[in-house]
Amino acid sequence: MRIRTRWPKWTLALTAAALLGFGGAQKVTLTYLTHWPPDTVAKLQSAIDTYQQQHPDVTINVRAVPFGNLLSTLRSQATSPSGPTIAGIYMLWLPELVQNAIADPAPDTYTSDVQNNWPSGVAGSVTVGGKVYGYPNEIDLYALNYNKRLFAEAGIQGPPTTWDELVADAKALTKRDSSGAIVQQGFGIINSWPAGVVHPWLSLVASDGGQLLDGTTAQLTSKQAMAVTDLYHQLIFQDKVTDPAMGTANASTTGPYLQNFTNGQTAMIIMANWWESALRDGMGDSFSDVGTAPIPVGPDGTGPHPVSYTWLNMVNAHASDAQRAAAWSFLEWLDSPQSGQNGSSAMGDILLSMGILPSRTSDVQAHSDRLDTPFLAGYVSQLKNAVPFPAVLGGEELTNSLQQWLERMEFGKASAQEAMQGAQQDIAAILKRYY
Amino acid sequence: MRSRKIEHAWSAIMLSPGLGLILIFIVVPIVLTAWISLHQWSMYTPIRGMHFVGLANYRSIFGDPGFLQALRNTLAYAGLSILFIVPLALAFGMFLFQGTVAGKSALRTVLFIPYMIPTLAVAIIWSYLYSPLYGPLNQILGWVGLQRQAWLGSIDLAMISLVIFNVWQTVGYYTVLVIAGLTQIPIAYYEAAVIDGAGTLQRVAHITLPLLRRTLLFVVVIAVINTVQVFDPVYVLTQGGPAGATNVLSYQIYKSAFEYGLAGRASSMAFVLFVILVVAVAIVMRLLRADEGTE
Amino acid sequence: MKLSLGARRRRGPDPATTALQVLVMLIIGASALFPLFWMLASSLKTAQELQAAPPVWWSHHPTLSAFANVFRQLPFARMFLNSVVIAGGTTVGIVLTSIMAGYVFAKHRFRGRGLLFSLVLATMFLPPIVLLVPLYRLVQSMGLVDSYLGVMLPNIANAFGIFLMRQFIAGVPDELIDAARIDGASEWGILWRIVTPLLRPAIAALVVFAFVFHWNSFLWPLTVLQSDHMFTVVLGLNRLVSYTSAVRFQNVVMAGATISILPNIVLFLFLQRSFISGIAHTGTKG
Repeated sequence: MRIRTRWPKWTLALTAAALLGFGGAQKVTLTYLTHWPPDTVAKLQSAIDTYQQQHPDVTINVRAVPFGNLLSTLRSQATSPSGPTIAGIYMLWLPELVQNAIADPAPDTYTSDVQNNWPSGVAGSVTVGGKVYGYPNEIDLYALNYNKRLFAEAGIQGPPTTWDELVADAKALTKRDSSGAIVQQGFGIINSWPAGVVHPWLSLVASDGGQLLDGTTAQLTSKQAMAVTDLYHQLIFQDKVTDPAMGTANASTTGPYLQNFTNGQTAMIIMANWWESALRDGMGDSFSDVGTAPIPVGPDGTGPHPVSYTWLNMVNAHASDAQRAAAWSFLEWLDSPQSGQNGSSAMGDILLSMGILPSRTSDVQAHSDRLDTPFLAGYVSQLKNAVPFPAVLGGEELTNSLQQWLERMEFGKASAQEAMQGAQQDIAAILKRYY
Repeated sequence: MRSRKIEHAWSAIMLSPGLGLILIFIVVPIVLTAWISLHQWSMYTPIRGMHFVGLANYRSIFGDPGFLQALRNTLAYAGLSILFIVPLALAFGMFLFQGTVAGKSALRTVLFIPYMIPTLAVAIIWSYLYSPLYGPLNQILGWVGLQRQAWLGSIDLAMISLVIFNVWQTVGYYTVLVIAGLTQIPIAYYEAAVIDGAGTLQRVAHITLPLLRRTLLFVVVIAVINTVQVFDPVYVLTQGGPAGATNVLSYQIYKSAFEYGLAGRASSMAFVLFVILVVAVAIVMRLLRADEGTE
Repeated sequence: MKLSLGARRRRGPDPATTALQVLVMLIIGASALFPLFWMLASSLKTAQELQAAPPVWWSHHPTLSAFANVFRQLPFARMFLNSVVIAGGTTVGIVLTSIMAGYVFAKHRFRGRGLLFSLVLATMFLPPIVLLVPLYRLVQSMGLVDSYLGVMLPNIANAFGIFLMRQFIAGVPDELIDAARIDGASEWGILWRIVTPLLRPAIAALVVFAFVFHWNSFLWPLTVLQSDHMFTVVLGLNRLVSYTSAVRFQNVVMAGATISILPNIVLFLFLQRSFISGIAHTGTKG
């Protein structure tokens, strides 16, 4: 009687092959699309190298493009087979990506991860229709940047906290040459760059108790929007403390507006926290002259409210199941305290290396001493007052439209009234297309 | 004698690579552009996923201040460029063609070299020249007692700043075209005129200019085509600003498609541009043909 | 042969006119070269000198470090190779297809030849932006995104080359071709062995024109090429400007620009005579 059955060799071989094929890990290749500069990409790469050592079945390739090319790259490549699996995106682009089924909704474990470990406002900025679509990373907001040395020379104690003080200080800080041209402007405004024009303006509106949109209805002809536009008009044409020609930006978001501040030819300007590295580059030791303060409050405002916006990492819904699973898993690791130093995530470390604010609660705590430095403290203290830029469909287009109208007013081609009415009309038409 | 059929067969074979590529990569896209212009499309979906809207895009762009401004700016850019280029090319051409000083052909080469440089590089170099704080142009203005300008940052000067460096980059090319045209004019005409007692100015007015008409028209056609297409300097330097003063059609089309996700609208703008160009060139060609008839 | 429009060939030119002409030439030459001088001068300056206001015209401590920096910031050598492959490959494609098509339009007869030629010419007047979106999708559907072929193939479809070749070949005497036909040579043999050797100036002109144009092109490669290692020199320059946009990096950008224009200038200096005579033939003969 045969007790042991002798298995034919081929069934053993087949079983072994099956086990190796299915039980063993599938090799997955991911592409990570980012706008970060080469030095930062190097840091991301070393985090990726660590991850790949721990997960030999996953290969991650970084594709870096300049900021100006990021959205167009996304549009051209999102549905392509060789398109990015993970993309770092500006939250304003998310609604359209969700609508076109490009953004992958996060599986439940990751949704809880985001909702538990990020402030509710930030988690909300990556949520569309109740679903979470990515891991938030940087948060950016605006503050009044001022030159302490120029303030001291003009005998002014501290930065302005109201619009009246802003106007008065700007007048005291403006210097003109013999022909009447401004050589030092009290208050600078930016042009030729949509966010640079709209976000500081909107911060002043919010600090006057106003808003850009009420849900999906444009508020450009509201009292507060008109008030800020009138203020700009007054600063440029009546008080002559602002010279729009000194505020030009180029495609890399640097240029004359930055140079004029680093040279000490602009005394005050509202700008975002991430220009810190550009300021250090341009000012060297004089960087200690830079002070940051809350947005000056308007007559109808109850307190300063800077505009904020976030960036996030999303996963491409067109990628394969295996790729998406691997991508979410990688993002969870990248944003967790396990991946970085001293309780920070690798993402947090990378952001801080650029002087950019992380949004994850544990990262803010882990880097509290760096965030306490004079420059950043002025921003971090205002996070609680920040008003997120409205993430609506058509967001890019309406930002551009408002930029055009504000610039026309600044250069004298339209009155403040015409500018706001024109913007109201255009923005309402843009929103009507989607809502 | 060679059979017609064999010649036709060879015609087909020899034409097929060139014309085949033109058919696939030019004709098909033109048809596609027209087709896309009747739809709404964010480019995030395949072409099949487009949403048909008929002529809605065309109707909306003619009421869109952005498009109309881009149209005006493009015409202004082309017009201003031609206004400077034609007289300069004519003057340089005549200067380099006649005259007795050595080194004329070296100068012709020097004038031509900017044409060899990528427009992107030219734009970047000129942005440094135009830099309000660090550029030599404002420094030179200061030497002669003129006020410093914001150039690319000035709503009034941005367009002319772009025109200036376009003229710098291309005038050498058009000068060579003029010189070529001048070589076609028979010397006998001038000799006869001298015998008749005509002075220099009269000879230029009655012989040179009329006989150069075809060359000058050709220069204008090429210049129109080149300037209407302008993209690189706007993209890298001004992004259409300030306040849309340098927003040109190709940039508006690019922004609409790639940033706003309005590829249908962008295609309708592109198609309108195409039609305008065809009409403009047809008119100029008609003048060229009419000219030939009278010679 | 120099023709004097003033027809003053009896007496030599008087010194005043000569001096005036030299002055005008110097002014024109200086204006043409000044931006290039500034580019070169900037590439040799130090970071401090770049941030000096008013600007320094020539460095007190000229250094080549910016050039080394270019290669550190970007894989510039690889980008150079990419540009050579793309511009060179496109040029070869254009020359070959243009000679063939030009021969047919000049020397073959068939009904509708004139109309077809006009239609082909009409495509010359097409701004690339009109085709950009659908052309990208077409290339994408062929799987040619981020590849050399993806950039080159649409560019080989070039009406200007066909136009240029047709003009030149029209000048080849019919008798030459008929004699070869009587001798029993095929059309293919006639084209390549008899006609083409006579086209040397036209080919030189087309080579310079096509190579320079496609070396310099920006928008189409920007759209098609995605990976760093595929980028052309011009795209690299765009990157350089974006990532090193601070004033003190202007020397790096200008060094990149200097490197990017060298091949074109060298090619032009070698072939300029043919090139200019080639242009002459496009403009003035119907």
